[in-house]
Amino acid sequence: MPRISSPQALDALRAELRAAVGTAAPTTITLCAGTGCQASRSLPVQAALRAELERAKLAGQVEIRTTGCHGFCEQGPLMIIEPGNLFYCRITPRDAAEIVERTILGGEVVERLLYTDPVSGRKVMREAEIPFYASQERVLLGQNRALDPTRIEDYIAQGGYQALAKALAEMTPQQVLGAVRAAGLRGRGGGGFPTATKWQTTRDAEGEPKILICNADEGDPGAYMNRSLLEGNPHAIIEGMLIGAHAIGASRGFVYVRTEYPLAVEHVRAAIAQAREWGLLGENILGSGLSFDLTVARGAGAFVAGESTALMAALEGEVSEPRPKDVHTAEKGYLDLPTTLNNVETWACVPWIIREGAEGFRRLGTAASPGTKIFALTGQVKNTGLVEVPLGTPLREIVYDIGGGAANGRAIKAVQIGGPSGGCVPESLFDLPVDFDSLREAGAMMGSGGMVVMDEGSCMVDVARYFLEFLRDESCGKCVPCRLGVARMLEIVTDVAEGRGTLAQLELLEELGETVSEASLCGLGKTAANPALTTLRYFRDEYLAHVVEKRCPAGVCRSLVHYTITPEACTGCGVCLRACPQAAITGERRRPHFIDQTLCVRCGICREVCRFNAVAVA
Amino acid sequence: MIRYITFTVDGATIRTPQGTSVLDAALDQGICIPALCHMRGVEDIGVCRLCLVEVVRNGRSRVTTSCTLEATQGMEVLAHSPKILNLRRNVAELLVAEAPNSRAIQDIAARCGVTSVRYPFHHADCVLCGRCVRICSEMWRAKALGFVGRGAQRRVALPFDERPAYCKRCYSCIDVCPMTIAPCAGPMPLGEEYLCAKCASQLTMTARMPDSCVWCELGKGFGCARQTSAARTRERTAAR
Repeated sequence: MPRISSPQALDALRAELRAAVGTAAPTTITLCAGTGCQASRSLPVQAALRAELERAKLAGQVEIRTTGCHGFCEQGPLMIIEPGNLFYCRITPRDAAEIVERTILGGEVVERLLYTDPVSGRKVMREAEIPFYASQERVLLGQNRALDPTRIEDYIAQGGYQALAKALAEMTPQQVLGAVRAAGLRGRGGGGFPTATKWQTTRDAEGEPKILICNADEGDPGAYMNRSLLEGNPHAIIEGMLIGAHAIGASRGFVYVRTEYPLAVEHVRAAIAQAREWGLLGENILGSGLSFDLTVARGAGAFVAGESTALMAALEGEVSEPRPKDVHTAEKGYLDLPTTLNNVETWACVPWIIREGAEGFRRLGTAASPGTKIFALTGQVKNTGLVEVPLGTPLREIVYDIGGGAANGRAIKAVQIGGPSGGCVPESLFDLPVDFDSLREAGAMMGSGGMVVMDEGSCMVDVARYFLEFLRDESCGKCVPCRLGVARMLEIVTDVAEGRGTLAQLELLEELGETVSEASLCGLGKTAANPALTTLRYFRDEYLAHVVEKRCPAGVCRSLVHYTITPEACTGCGVCLRACPQAAITGERRRPHFIDQTLCVRCGICREVCRFNAVAVA
Repeated sequence: MIRYITFTVDGATIRTPQGTSVLDAALDQGICIPALCHMRGVEDIGVCRLCLVEVVRNGRSRVTTSCTLEATQGMEVLAHSPKILNLRRNVAELLVAEAPNSRAIQDIAARCGVTSVRYPFHHADCVLCGRCVRICSEMWRAKALGFVGRGAQRRVALPFDERPAYCKRCYSCIDVCPMTIAPCAGPMPLGEEYLCAKCASQLTMTARMPDSCVWCELGKGFGCARQTSAARTRERTAAR
């Protein structure tokens, strides 16, 4: 492929590619092959489909497009058949023959492969009609389904690199910065720092070359929007970074990806190689004189490595530990060079701003937090997956309209937002608009963008304990408040959960939490107290129940619960008696059974196996 | 030519060469800001978090460590605000609860106003201040000591836990270690740790005054002993 040497050449190429679309094959089958769908065997489905098409002698007339993540991973593998926007989900390789025979050849709809809306119980035929998608604004994520991430041609045909051409040919660096500032873009990594300010600082700082970093070290185990963007649309990130390079005057860049994301590493590497081959990376890009090149760096899986200074230490070959940030990394970052580090999503927003202008970007979101944000919705809701909504969308809308409400009939109690060091927002605050400032005020944070929905079956003390344990293990151990403070907080919460807690300890927990957030060295420590502080703030009654009444209201904390058999409900079937590993259950057949509390270890197996709901927990 | 800048600590105006950290400048003037990991001559890493100060800019204050903060012209620093004293006390309490068996740590706890410890005592031998690691790698360029592990597993270790040939047994690491001197009443047996706080009695009158320190031999080692800038300058000139 010849290098694209000017914006005009790019336009010509795009026109050519667009003309080719649709002429080759009248029917397109879009098959998701993101990590989520691959896990639900979308690759065997694809192979089976190809074999079937071959057999039906349709190979030339049907195009199979393997794309990145669509976001609805729970229903995977997903398939969309165009024209018609027909949506099939949870396909197995065995369904391939039927799809080809009935849908492709016969034009019929295979009823059982359609999506069933769990709220209404209705079958939904078209992708656009699915409530989960319909309530979203999928500006960034929506591109994924339109292109094959391993083909730069697809991205260019979709209008890719148009924003870059515009920025290089028609805008000075200051104009690009001005556009980003006017758009009010804020850091999508969770901090919400104004991107333009960071760019300006790096631009003005002394030192050459200036460095750009794309932070794709998504450490939150429950969030995967960065992975999906990198896997599904790597060129959007490259384009964003190129525009940033033009604005900042940078000539080198890194994409720091976790090794745990092999597909993302593969796709972003392939994309960089293609962009280089096509002349979109390297020297004199599009004849503008801009030179910029990208390197992929793989992380080695430490939660703390996502912190900007720790990430730069890792890039330098040091242990990924944070450094004090009294001089901002925008001035002295990687190898003491001026460095702009932005999240994957932030970079992905940049082409959108240049393409549609600041007003186009501000069309969505609030005045202080414009644009959209992708969240990873998980937990006790009917629909889980990646959700892209305008910032400022009320939490209630995300949980009930998109998520479809509680999964198993129990009332939803709280949403844990922002990953392990985020906070728990209670149901009473669900009208809270989800934007950077409102979340911070509520004690939570945007953080990773993970949203874990919890219902009445979750004990908030247990939740705090779980996250504190994670953070204690992931703290780098460098500074005192984070290393010792988080460990002491965990000690206190464990005491509470095991019934040894005192009221004085609750006060100490609060005071210590505030000290840890104020005194810690890096972002991890500064937010590590959030899970404990927010649960203590919004669910104090649960803590008090543990401390004063020695009772766990949700029936989760083992040391505080008792399993009893309700004699009226027990039929004496003997299932629990046989299942009990401690032989703590006694009783004659067809007579109510009884649990010996001295032998019971509160494993809960009896409750799980009982078909008559006769085992009560309190 | 040395350029000087002027800034304030707790309202007191300080003139110091450009490029000095707030902590060094304050200590030079006898303003005692407690510190553990700080040592003259090696790079500051800001890990003990005892030297926290508030920096006020445009009416908004930011908490940071004074050892890693370079003093700049007109900077307004609060080293003994109620908020800072509270944070420092809580951090010192964490330290002394973790490793009570050290006179230096007990002294720091007293200096920071810890009067009771609300956590069960641990019996750690090391507080990971990194003084030994940094003196070995920066002062002597030996790098015979380093940190190993993450979080709770973090510890100071020799390379692969074996003494390398390039360790010349200079024992600088032991010289600077805060854990090598037992509390005044002798080492505390496991399970019988307590907060010593005897020297706290000396604090009451002078705690809030600049240029004061708990009388303690170790105070000198930690750079918060009574010392005027004139004396320091003399020392430095002599060293050159």
